[in-house]
Formats: sequence, structure tokens, C-alpha cells
Amino acid sequence: MRRLLNPVTLLSALVLVVTLIAVIWPGLLAPYDPFDSVGDARLEAPSAAHLFGTDALARDVFSRVVYGARLSLLAAVLATTAGAVLGGLVGLISGTAGGRVDFAIMRVIDVMLAIPGILLALIVVASLGFGAVSIAIGVGLGATGSFARVMRAQVMRIRNEEYIEAARTMGLRRPTILFRHVMPNASQPIVAMASTELALAILAVSALSFLGFGAQPPTPEWGSLVSDGRQFIATAPWLSIMPGSVILVVVLAVNGLARNLGGNR
Amino acid sequence: MSAAPVLRVTNLHVTYGSGSARHHAVRGVDLELGAGRILAVVGESGSGKSTVANAVLGLLPDGARLTEGVVEVEGVHLTAMRERALRRVRGDIVGYVPQDPSRSLNPVLRIGEQIAEALRRHTDLNRADAAARAVEILDEVGIPDPELRARQYPHELSGGLRQRVLIGIAWACTPQLVVADEPTSALDVTVQRHVLDRMEELRAAHGTAVLLITHDLAVAADRADDIVVMQHGQIVESGKAAEVLSNPQHEYTRALVGAAPGLHSARMLPRVEPAAVTAGTSDAPLLTVRGLQKTYPGDGGAGAVHAVKGVDLDIRRRETFAIVGESGSGKSTTARMIARIIDSDSGEIRFDGEDLTAMEGERLRRFRQYIQVVFQNPVGSLDPRMTVERLVTEPLRAQRFLSRRERAATARELLDQVRLGPEHLERRPAQLSGGQAQRVAIARALAVRPELLVLDEPVSALDVSVQEQVLQLLVDLQAEHGLTYLFISHDLAVVRQISDSIAVMSKGEVLERGPAAEVLSDPRSEYTRELLAAIPGQVTAS
Amino acid sequence: MRSAGRLHRAGPVLRFVAPKVLQALFVVWATYTVTFLLIHALPGDPVLAALAVRAGDAATTDPEVLDALRAQYGLDGSILHQYVSHFLALFRGDLGVSMATGYDVSDMVARALPKTVAVAALALVLGFVGALAFTIAAYLARPQWLRGAISQIPPLGIAIPAFLTGVVLISVFAFQLGWFPASGADGFASTVLPAITLSLPTGAIFYQVFSAAVFEAGEAGFVRTARAKGLSQPVVIGRHILRNAVLPAITIIGLQIGYLAGGTAVVETVFSRDGIGRITVDAVLARDINVVTGVVMVVAVIYAVTTMIVDLLYGVLDPRIRTRVAAKPRTRSHAATPAGGDDA
Repeated sequence: MRRLLNPVTLLSALVLVVTLIAVIWPGLLAPYDPFDSVGDARLEAPSAAHLFGTDALARDVFSRVVYGARLSLLAAVLATTAGAVLGGLVGLISGTAGGRVDFAIMRVIDVMLAIPGILLALIVVASLGFGAVSIAIGVGLGATGSFARVMRAQVMRIRNEEYIEAARTMGLRRPTILFRHVMPNASQPIVAMASTELALAILAVSALSFLGFGAQPPTPEWGSLVSDGRQFIATAPWLSIMPGSVILVVVLAVNGLARNLGGNR
Repeated sequence: MSAAPVLRVTNLHVTYGSGSARHHAVRGVDLELGAGRILAVVGESGSGKSTVANAVLGLLPDGARLTEGVVEVEGVHLTAMRERALRRVRGDIVGYVPQDPSRSLNPVLRIGEQIAEALRRHTDLNRADAAARAVEILDEVGIPDPELRARQYPHELSGGLRQRVLIGIAWACTPQLVVADEPTSALDVTVQRHVLDRMEELRAAHGTAVLLITHDLAVAADRADDIVVMQHGQIVESGKAAEVLSNPQHEYTRALVGAAPGLHSARMLPRVEPAAVTAGTSDAPLLTVRGLQKTYPGDGGAGAVHAVKGVDLDIRRRETFAIVGESGSGKSTTARMIARIIDSDSGEIRFDGEDLTAMEGERLRRFRQYIQVVFQNPVGSLDPRMTVERLVTEPLRAQRFLSRRERAATARELLDQVRLGPEHLERRPAQLSGGQAQRVAIARALAVRPELLVLDEPVSALDVSVQEQVLQLLVDLQAEHGLTYLFISHDLAVVRQISDSIAVMSKGEVLERGPAAEVLSDPRSEYTRELLAAIPGQVTAS
Repeated sequence: MRSAGRLHRAGPVLRFVAPKVLQALFVVWATYTVTFLLIHALPGDPVLAALAVRAGDAATTDPEVLDALRAQYGLDGSILHQYVSHFLALFRGDLGVSMATGYDVSDMVARALPKTVAVAALALVLGFVGALAFTIAAYLARPQWLRGAISQIPPLGIAIPAFLTGVVLISVFAFQLGWFPASGADGFASTVLPAITLSLPTGAIFYQVFSAAVFEAGEAGFVRTARAKGLSQPVVIGRHILRNAVLPAITIIGLQIGYLAGGTAVVETVFSRDGIGRITVDAVLARDINVVTGVVMVVAVIYAVTTMIVDLLYGVLDPRIRTRVAAKPRTRSHAATPAGGDDA
């Protein structure tokens, strides 16, 4: 019960609920059309009417941020899920098989971990082309290595626990031990890790979109919104800072909940 | 002692945490300790004995607060001192011997330096003189090759040698008081004796007062002048060691004395009627082991470890056969090969005439119902995600015994057999105490009605009073169900209480075996004699 | 390492070093292979893609011209031939020719590298020092809530998008205060803001490992022993806690190189510095596979060499490894078998 009363958790949950609404029904939150100009008020400072101000084409920045949530977050969720499932599977195989299979898989994983995630994503984007899906694949591939490594370590640790030995002396079959004892105990840290990785994926996706590899204009995306505002940084810094801060807040919220999931209070 | 005591503790209160999570660990403890004497503070885990030691040292952990009371050393109020001043006292006037020698020395500093830094802090010795004195101290605590050892790092020393180094550090500046917090509980019995001897010598030579914290009543009986027994943060009894042990007044002390294995040499008797021996059971041994061998491959070409070198055993039906040995003796490896947890390299294991080593796959799996195992770490041997009900019935599912409904009823029965109420059925391992968890593990082992139970150090992780209850339970169950036990232990005092036959192992070989009474009263090997002599509590034992 | 077995006649130092060198070579080779596979396994013709970016719909489709271009960029011949010849070229320092600019990739990298290294090195130092300061502050902080509050700050460094940090720093320190230039790569002043931007995540990662190690060491028995000796606070922290905690912190320097390499792409874009990161971004925008591969290989080599040096350094700094390396079989018997290892 104390978990729910934790103010950090509460605030994080609130932020994520609002974000979720932005992803599913952006119209509920956004006061204006994200693609149309709201008159001739260009580069206006934040006000009650335009929370985040307006951009060079006189579009409401807040509405663009709300509509941008869907693409930015779906790509991050897709990347994390793909990384967790693929990495978890590879780690499970590596950890249970042991021997040469394990050795071979782990060398591949070592290399995937050696190439910086962003560079790996850049290679994918360079060969696959631009867009949210390419970015998601690239980021997901970058996360696969760490998931595999953690899953393998978990499986190896649990295989050496006394309760697994006990299960063998009871006469349980190998698959039964794997599915009833090893898997449930090994996947818990993976779930906790997935939530931390999601925060990193949001950052990576928005960084790639900031660099111009994401959806092409005028489709709004968080990273590209920051990038669009950059040329007016001397006169209208809020154009970049506002969407950037939204990313920060969402990442913090995901982290806040992740820490609670991980249980290290 | 006519002079003022070296240590006086008055009305000590310590609490942990705050608010609703507040825990009153020490509630009004008074102690007095004179020069040259040893005062033992005895208690089980959670009694607050270690907190008393920490309070005397002024090293209470984060979150602990000394709420009331005074600690005086040589008439100086330590409790009134600022941390900066206390640092001048610690190491100089008060020395400390920690519990776990394997973690209590800095792994990246040389041994000599770790002694010398204490000398440089509290004396006028310069760097070179302190280093030279450190070597002398190593010699004084009985470490061979002191010059070489001073240049080595902690990982190059065995546990016993490390503990001697720590004793050397404690006495380096010849303090008036040394606090020893469970100084030998992490060590093998034979090593334990040497380490305690060394402490007594230093005490005698320097007239040091020693505050000895221990869970082991037998150690206290051997070494202490006075004893204080603690329970739930309070002193329940105190007095001269011999008096407290021979004529305990408080109920709890009586229970502790009654449970201490070192103080009792008699075999435990079942409190239930033994099951009638079914006619027709043969006299042939249930388990015969011949020429059993196991070698672990060495790491990095360092040479393989020959863990078990040709072991022969005969275990008769319905007896308790104990294998005793210190760490590295190969006793656990032997037990694990018999339980087919690990494979043997060569040799045969015959159970009721059938060769176990030849068994594989489905046949081995079915056969496992006859041999069940209880492990050392009670909580670790239970899957943390399962309820007690699922845990105890899992072997039944594995062996496809009984229907689902019958299994539910069986779970209650099994718990009843190990004297646990049905309210435990829905609990998970984390919600059980060590003793309860071990009972669950025993119930699980009994589920498939095995003939042989392999008990691998089943009580060494438990407090003494719990230890005794679990041992008694095992003795009762054996009588009720006609079980055969293979009992693995490092503790000859425990083995003495439960076994019919004993095999003593050292360095992978069986040194001697035979009926328990014979091995214990007339040991043939020098090593067994040494083991027997090292059991603490001989002096007071009848 | 299996390969070490054959070297058992060689000196113990060589036996320690050789596997680490092999490991570094392996990482370089494997990175090359993974990159090569990714590029050729994913759909699309790199030459066509690059041309399409450069010329749009006007791009040539004349097979002869395309073949000539392929040969020029080293993308002709069989896959196997490409795989082998490019890898061998790597050892001559030949990274091929840029498809977008026609320049030699090695020259491009060589010109850009110093600018990136200047920023990355400063960021590494700032991050390390910052993490150290926060760790010690958190360790010493009393009461508990203050410690909790302090330890909440460093993780923020990894949650802040680098472009946000950069934009905020530019608008405050370049435009409002005018202390540092907003862009370019001239002199030390221009490296300060990018380095601070990069040092936030770097410092957060250092802090993670560092504080875990310091708090673990702080709880350890040997620190209790040290305090029971009555040693002064600076000695306990410096000699007993930090000396043990620094070891795990150095092992992640390799990881940090990777992180920095990724971070420079964003930071150099924000601050308009023409370093490695900027080259990479431009290359990806132009779908210039040759430059992307070249940069990845350079990063891989730096990573592999750093990791190797760190590993070797660890052997020198940690006596537990050092004595094992130096121990000849004869002196080994002197070292008693580690205590507490039951035969289980």
C-alpha cells in the first residue's frame, strides 16, 4: 500500500495517463489543429491561448506536441518490446543451452553491445531509409543485446539456485523445471528492465528524429519539433525548449514508475 | 577485581528505524567487565547482542540510535564523545575482532600495511618502524613466515590466518578492551580452537578485558569468566560462567543450555512409538558405495581438484549415517553424487542392489522418489514464487502420485507431520522463518514416501534452539516412517546427537568409519581426535 | 579463453595479455561483420539510394553508369569479395571513398576526429569528477533524507535529452550571457558547452557504478575494521573505500566511449561542429554507406583498444588479479586455498 502513496509514483502515473490520452485521443487535449496555422501570429511567446507559443508557420506548438506523442511513443514502445522479446528469447536459449551454443551466442551479443546503440540504429536507418519504423527497428536492435545479456545472467543464476537442484531431485522433467521454476523467476527482472529501457528508447527515438531521420514534415514528432525550433533559438528559444521539456518529463515519469517496479526503494 | 571496571555499560537502549517501523533492539542493558577478564554475551539472532557490541565501539549502523544509557571505558564516557574524539579511542583503547575474516580485510592493501596503519595512527612510530612492528605482531599471533605474509594480500591467506591478522590488528596498540563479535563462527572447528587460544594468550599477556559476543553457549562455557544471556534486547540472566551453565535460573537459559549440542553427548531418542519392522526386510545394507571418485576440472590450468578419492560406504536400513568433515573434505560432493545431483567419475552406488550410477533418463527420474534431499539453506531450496501448498505437493505432481483433490489433503497431512499448522499452506518462502522453511523442505522430501533422506547440513543455518527442534523432528520422523538418513555435517557435536554410524572425511578420503559410539569414544585417526577435542563446551559437559 | 591454452609455455604476463589482444581484434572483426551483414541483408541498393538522395528523380538508371559508380565506391564484385577486400583494406587504413562527396573516408575521419576527441575527453573528465563529487557528498550526507535527495540528482543526467541540454545552454550562455560561442570548433571555449552537454549522461553512468561500489564498500567488513582502528575519515574514504570503488568504475570507460560516440552525433549537430558525429549524420542523410561504415569501424577500433587498455590496467591495479598473473605454479602452493569454499 505504501507504494501507491509515494508522491513520485503518483505523479509519474498521472503524467503517463495524460500521455496515454495524447497517444489515443489527441483531440481531447489539443486545442488546435496541428497542421493549420492559427492566424498570422508567428513565433509568438507562450501564453494562455498558446501554452507553448506558435511556430514560424503560426501553428500551435502545444497541439503539435500532443499529436506528436503517438508516433514518438509508439516507435519507442515497439523498439522496447521487440528488444525485450528477441533479447529475452536469445538469452533464455543461451542460458539454458550452455556450452558451445552459449559461447557462440554470447560472442555475437558482445559485439552488439560493443557497437554503440545509436550507431547501430544509424546503420539500420542508412540502409533501410528514413521513418519511424526504421528508427524503431534500429533502436530495438540496439537494446536486444542488453536484454539478452540480462536474461542469460538471470537464467544462469537461477539454474544454480538450490531450489532448482531440489526440483531435479524431486524427479521433475527438464522442460517442467524450465517453465515452472526458471522462466517465472528469470523474467521478473526483464520486466523491470524493459521499463527502464523504454525511457532510453524514448530518448533514442527522439534523438534520431531530431537528427532528421524520422517522419518527414509536416508530420509532428517530438524530436523533429525540437529540431525545427533550433533555427529560431536566438529569438524564440521556447520553440525548442518546450517540446524538449515534454520529452524530459515523460522520460522521468517512466523512470519513476520503473524504479518502483524494480523494487529498489 | 578491586579496581574500577574497564568497561561499564549502564541502562543501554538502542532503537532502529523511526515512526511505525521503529524497533527497540536493546532495552536497558547493564554490563561490567574488569581487566584481564572475558565476558561472554550469549544470545540467538535478533537478541540484540551484536548491537551491544556496536554500541560499545560507537559504530552503530545507519538508522540505529542510542536513545539512552552510558558506555564508559576506563571511566571515560564514550557516549558523550564526539566522533572525532572517538576515533582516537577506537583502535588505541578499544580493539575489535570482527565476525567474518573473509570480508574484514581490505582486498587491495597488503597485510602488513593494514596493521601498520593502525600503529601509525595511535603511536609515534614512523613508517619504517610501524612496518617492522607489524611483522613482529604477525609473528606474535602465530603466523608462519611473517615477513612474507606482511607483503601479501588478504586473498592469499586462509580464513584462519586472516582471523589471526585481525586479532593482531585488534591488539596492535595493546588496548584495555577488545570487543570480539562472533570471532570464530565463520571458521572450521579445528581452526576455531586455535584462534580462540590465541586470543586467550594475548589477553593473559596484556591483561586485556575481552567482550566476547557469541551465539555458541559452548564457546562461552569454555572461554568466558562471566556470562550474560540476552533475549529480545534484554539480559535475562548473568553470572559466573560455570554457575550459569550448571545451574541456569531463567527459563530461556535452561532452554538454550538444553539445546546446545556441544554440551550434550547423548544420542537423541524418538518421542514416538517406532513403526513395526515389516517382516521380510533384509539385513543387507540399503546403500553401498564403492570406490566413488570425483574430480573437478581446474581453472586456467591450475590443476584439477580431486574432490572425492575412492570413497566406500555401507548404510544400513533405518539408521542415521553421518559423514563429518570440514570444508573441502568432499562430504557434500559425496552426498550430491549419491543423490545424483552431480555425476560421479567412477565407482558404484548401489541402492537396494541396483546400480544408481548406471541409471539415466526416465528410469532415473522415476527412481528419485526413493531418495529425497534436504538442503542446507532452507529458504534457498524453496522456489520463492510458490505457496507452501504447491511446494510440498510438487514431488507428487512430478511423480504423478494422487489426484489434485487428494494432493490438497495430503499437503495438510504433510505439514501436520512436520508440526506446522494448516495456516502455513498459503504462505510463501519469504514469509517463513528459517526453522519453518526447513520443516517445509522436510515435508516436501517426505511427500513421495522415500526410503533414504540425504540431509546436507540441514541445521547449520539455524539458531541453536531451532536446530534442536528440527533434529528432534528428524529423529521422530525416522522412527515413525522407518527412514534411513544420510546426514552431512561439519559439526561433530550435532552428529553426536543424531547418528548411529559415522564416517570422518578429510581431503576427499574417508579416514575412519564405524558405529557412532566407537568412533566418538575411541577414535582411531589423529584427525578425528583433533576434531573431537575441538568441540567447544568439553569442560562443562558431563 | 581457449586460445590461451596453447600459450602455456609463454611467460605468465604474455598469457595474461595475449587473450586481451585477441579479444580486441575479435571485436573489430565482428563489428565489421555485423555492420556488413546489416547493410547487405537489409533491402535496398546502396548506390541507388545514395543517387536518389543526391539527384532525386533525375538520378541515372543507366546500368553502365551504375556499374562504373559501383566500381568507384568499391561496391562491385561478389558479396564475399567485397567482404574480404574491405576488411583487408581496413588494415591499410583505407576506408573507401565517400559516395556523397567523393572524398577519401580516412581523410574525412582524420580531419574530424581531433575536434570530437577534444569534446569527448573533456566530457569524460567532467563526468568522472562530477560523479565522484556527488558520490562522496551522498555517502557523507546525514540525515537519510538528505542523502536520498542528493542521490536523486545524478540520474537526471541520463533522462535529459542531449539536444535539450544543448539548446538551453546555448540560449543562456551563448545568447543571453555571451560567455561561450554558440557554434563552431575554434579553440577551447568552443568545446566547453558541448562537453558539458555530453558530460551529463556520462556522469550519470559513472555515478551509477561509482555510488553502487562506494556504498557497497562502505557497508563492507573491511571498512568496519578500518573504522574500528580509529582511522580518520579521509583515510577511511580515500584509502579503504575509494581504492576499492574505483576499480569497477574504470571498467565502464569502454562503455562510455560507445555512449560518447552516439552522443556526439546529436551534440555536434546542436553546436554545428564538424566532427565525427556531424560527418555520420550527414552521411546517413545522404545514404552514404561507405562513410557510415568507416565511422563505425573507427569507433570500434577506439572502443576495442580502450577496453583492452582498461582490462590490462585492471590487472595492474587489482592485486587479486595481479598476483594470479605473477604466480608461477611453484609459488601458488604458498597462496592458501581460498577459505569458505566448501566442496559443494
